[in-house]
Amino acid sequence: MEIISLGTLISALTWSSILSLMAIGITLLYRTTKVPNFAHASFVTTGVYSATIVSLMGFHPYLGMFLGFILGGLEGLVLFYAILEPLRRRRSSIFILMIATLSYDILLYGLLNVLADDLQTTYKILARMIYYSRLDFSIGGVPGVAVISLLALITTVILLYILLNRTTLGVALRACMENTALAQTLGINVSLMLLFSWFIAGGIAGVAGALLPFYTMCGPYIGMLYIAEMFCASILGGLDQIYGAPLGGFLIGFAKVALISVLASFVGPWITEYAPIIPLAAMAVALVLVPKGLVAIKIRRG
Amino acid sequence: MQLPLNEIALFMTDFLALFGVYLIVTISLNIQRGLAGIPQFGLMFAIAGGAYITGNMATRIAVWILGIKTDLDPVIDCTAVLSMVNPMLNTQPMTSFILILIYLAIGATFGAVLGLIQVAPAIRLREDYLAITLLAFAEIINVIATAYKPLLGGAFGVQVPSVYGWAGGYRYGVATLAILVIAAISYLYAEYLERTPLGRTLKAIRENEVAAASLGKSLVKYRAIAIVIGSALCGMAGTLWTLYGEYVTPTYTRFYWTFLPWLMVLLGGIGSNRGALLGTAIFVALDKLIIYYKHSFEAFLPFDVVWLDYILLGIITAIILIYRPQGLLPERPYIPKDIRKRIEEKIKQF
Amino acid sequence: MLKVESLNSGYGKLHVLYDVSVDCDKEEIVAVVGPNGAGKTTLLNSIFGIADIYSGSVKIDGEEITKLPAHVIARKGIAYVLQMINIFSELSVEENLRISASYAKIPDIDKKLREIFEIFPILSERRKQRAGTLSGGERQMLAISIGLIRDPKILLLDEPTAGLMPLYVDLIIKKINEIRKERGISVVLVEQNVKKALEIADRAYVLVSGQIIFRGSPSDLASEKEIMRLYLGMGE
Repeated sequence: MEIISLGTLISALTWSSILSLMAIGITLLYRTTKVPNFAHASFVTTGVYSATIVSLMGFHPYLGMFLGFILGGLEGLVLFYAILEPLRRRRSSIFILMIATLSYDILLYGLLNVLADDLQTTYKILARMIYYSRLDFSIGGVPGVAVISLLALITTVILLYILLNRTTLGVALRACMENTALAQTLGINVSLMLLFSWFIAGGIAGVAGALLPFYTMCGPYIGMLYIAEMFCASILGGLDQIYGAPLGGFLIGFAKVALISVLASFVGPWITEYAPIIPLAAMAVALVLVPKGLVAIKIRRG
Repeated sequence: MQLPLNEIALFMTDFLALFGVYLIVTISLNIQRGLAGIPQFGLMFAIAGGAYITGNMATRIAVWILGIKTDLDPVIDCTAVLSMVNPMLNTQPMTSFILILIYLAIGATFGAVLGLIQVAPAIRLREDYLAITLLAFAEIINVIATAYKPLLGGAFGVQVPSVYGWAGGYRYGVATLAILVIAAISYLYAEYLERTPLGRTLKAIRENEVAAASLGKSLVKYRAIAIVIGSALCGMAGTLWTLYGEYVTPTYTRFYWTFLPWLMVLLGGIGSNRGALLGTAIFVALDKLIIYYKHSFEAFLPFDVVWLDYILLGIITAIILIYRPQGLLPERPYIPKDIRKRIEEKIKQF
Repeated sequence: MLKVESLNSGYGKLHVLYDVSVDCDKEEIVAVVGPNGAGKTTLLNSIFGIADIYSGSVKIDGEEITKLPAHVIARKGIAYVLQMINIFSELSVEENLRISASYAKIPDIDKKLREIFEIFPILSERRKQRAGTLSGGERQMLAISIGLIRDPKILLLDEPTAGLMPLYVDLIIKKINEIRKERGISVVLVEQNVKKALEIADRAYVLVSGQIIFRGSPSDLASEKEIMRLYLGMGE
């Protein structure tokens, strides 16, 4: 008796890759700006609709990854430049920054819904049910999205590595991540570096979003649906290590898809409805066992 | 002359009911964040908890108190069971009143229990990690509520006894009144709490954990107290809202019950109860007005008015954060009367 | 060389410095001492463009740098050695120095490295070690070197001997003096250790509650018994 099918494993792989892509951005932003980015939800959703727009223009929606990168990146850019940087200059707390990303997320959510409505009426498509799996290609029975998302993840990780270790810009970025004050004294333009990181992170999220419709049905809510899981993957992988994000992504992705499938074959299909709890539980366990975030002693100035 | 007055009365009742429920929630948030400094991004947890436990148990309890004999499941067959319960309640205001009190007690208690569950992470995690953890925790309750059918009948939800049915045509008015009474009590309690040694200790901990700890105050105990009190209030809010609508579905989302209250408190001023009052009033009014005047908006808005809500919300919050992060009515330091007198005398000397 | 005039600065709404004027000439060591929380670090932060300046000016060789952002000021020949967390602990000693030099666009980095290692030989021994594993004194030497390798005209030092054992305190103070002499650098030395600071300073300022209450030579300061006792913790 087969406990787990190949199809499920491939599905787990796909979801892990996409989730990892989403989590990398969150970890990157946390390392540079020290803030958990709630707007990542909307960056991802923007990726979804980038794929839609590209397909409406007559191209294959996979090409939406490029548009998604640009639009997601721009959204990240604007968030930092218009909202976060002024707040940083005002020496606002991490907390205020977090709420700021949340407010931007809400704003984008509204705009994305307007977009969806507009696309629906103008192009007569079901803009709240974007699902492209039938447009996907297949390699020996394996859905194309599994291959493409894994490739996208690997490419992203490699490019990030090259950027951060072999380019001056990247090394400056790492300096900022490690020690912002010191980086400043060396003449590094910290604001510019941060701006750049927001562009990259937003862009990566956009790419992930463009892949989503090949895996599951998406609507404007899709980013918000998975944001908690994205945070879980980031935290599990360790927020202080960018390359930990894929680790967290795979652990959670496989736990959620593969593990649930295994459990279902033992206890019955009803357990699949509880799948969303797994990432949350995993994160809670991670935080308990490896307390990276112990209550820090805050000594206020003045 | 009847019609316009009726319309206004309806709008006001509608507005005040929602306002009252949200006020309890924002007061709770003020206690947890404003007073104790806890980044409570899992606010929805206790609210949903209160609502869902009420949904699950309300009919059961009513059946028991009214002495009705039935084999039907109060959740799955709620309509059938309530067709027996409600006619009886409609003629028994006293029993209805007692039921309300019982439901509130259950909601508050369950809320408090959920609060206790949140204490474990709260005492060990740093602010940003804690915020996300509490957020994640809260998500769990909706997953369970939707998946576990016996709880609330799944996604369809469940009907609850009509505890205001005895008031006939005025039932919404009475329901609103009940909400406002609890809201007022919560507000007064929060104000009182600030002036007690407990309240002052919480503030001290919020400002400087090290100093507070050095005074021998147990951080764990006080943070726990704040969360439990806050969650109990939230539980009651959930119960009240369920009783108002006589129905509950597992749709207490974090947008409406965590983020919105945060924005209300932010607008009013974190830590200030008057601010919470103002912030809540403004947001609820804005929301209601947008919906009521939907048709006028639709004339010149190229999109659905509902999205305007989100767009405005996002923009307004960003503006508040940048230009007035302390809110409209920021917290004022509380100085006990006798000390204040002495300070004023000293100043006069100069 | 460096001229701070009537500076009012702080952080956001927190006003820290009131009407502070400090200057430092070529090849001078100027000591800024005072009790904790007086605003000494804020003074350095203000010069470097990290704190918010409400009014007043900061000039280098007559050029006004008051409104400039930190990363621009860094390229004007000023090096700022922070008090705490002043090294990249994940990088090696050598990588720390190389990064600093590359951002300062130093032409011959290897030559500069050798110079640094001559001043602080122990760093040469530890060149491949992760900076986080260095001892307190070694870290401070590295931190100062990170600033020094950029060939600055002006060196801002924030409590370089804080928390170090007497052996290292003496060593670092001695080295600062040497560096000043051999390279003709101006040094603004913020210090808690008044005695040591006055040993090598040409002039001294006493900063208390955001205001300068004394300016003059170290010997003049030493004879100001009241100030020495009240603010600098140096009793009879």
